[in-house]
Amino acid sequence: MSDRGLRSAALLVTLAGMGIAGYLTWAHFADQSVVCVQGGGCEKVQESSYAEIAGIPVATLGLASYATILALLLWDAPVARLSAATLALVGVFFSAYLVVVQLVVIDAVCIWCMANDLVVAPALAVLTVLRLRS
Amino acid sequence: MATRPSSRQGASRRSIVVVIAAAAIVALALVAGALLLRDDGGSSASPTPVVDFTGIPQEGAVLGDPSATVRLIEYADLQCPACRGYTEEVQPTLVADYVRPGRVQAEFRGMTFIGPDSETALRFVHAAGLQNRLWQLQEALYRNQGAENSGWVTDELMRDLAADIPGLDVDRLFADKDSAAVTELLAEDARHAQEDQVSETPTLMVQIGGAEPYKINIGFDPNALSAALDDALQG
Repeated sequence: MSDRGLRSAALLVTLAGMGIAGYLTWAHFADQSVVCVQGGGCEKVQESSYAEIAGIPVATLGLASYATILALLLWDAPVARLSAATLALVGVFFSAYLVVVQLVVIDAVCIWCMANDLVVAPALAVLTVLRLRS
Repeated sequence: MATRPSSRQGASRRSIVVVIAAAAIVALALVAGALLLRDDGGSSASPTPVVDFTGIPQEGAVLGDPSATVRLIEYADLQCPACRGYTEEVQPTLVADYVRPGRVQAEFRGMTFIGPDSETALRFVHAAGLQNRLWQLQEALYRNQGAENSGWVTDELMRDLAADIPGLDVDRLFADKDSAAVTELLAEDARHAQEDQVSETPTLMVQIGGAEPYKINIGFDPNALSAALDDALQG
């Protein structure tokens, strides 16, 4: 794939991540329920004490991370590519923790949170390839 | 023939290792921060009730004048932090402005989707309802809400909370909590929740007379609750 194609893919995945994290952040601050499959998993996860760090919603941290990756992608200098890939890698590690918390500790799955956790993996893959090419 | 990697390749590999290590350290710091700074809800207990139920009639899970035509139905899980928020922020207005003057009845319906402590708490609350003290006990539980499914709904906590509620027979409360009557009340709440398609808490519904109840979404805003109830009282 061309460099331009890779950047487009990275932008697409990052925007998808921003969309999901943005939706969860909006639902949190507007005090709205997220659209969820039957069973209450979303509410259980969103209302759990694991959904915030020092009062900041985890979704908001995700939104800030995706926004930073987007800014680095638009900058597109070698150091920006390295920073974006590093940030995505941090995201993958932290998302792995969040997935384990959902499955093992809270014992409920919020499909939006899971999508938010998982979309960072393809972002990392594309950003890594971009970094290695620079 | 095998060749030695160039110094550039070696530097590149080293930089990848450094990046992975740095990312792992940052992620570990985030996880540690998340666990250490987690608000388990156990530190904000207040000894003073935030809602005054004194002198308001209660019949089981229903609070207020039985002749009031408008009823506010609340679906709640006693472990749910948002339900605690609703109770602290909105319930004082509901009780003072609408229930106490006899304009609106309030009905509590419990859900247990968060886990075992939800059911234990709900059993105690419905047992208090058998003595028409359900509303005082649910308020006291929210004030002392602990970390989800940590076993915070202990007999000791319940005995302390119940002892502070005037007119509540604590021994009878403990005898009733595992009774068939309370089990049936839990089942009835679950049936209602299914019929009303409730999948989250708190869920609020307004019922005017014998009409079908409808959901309202007010967040933690007492003014939004007032607007919804005023609308129902006019309609």
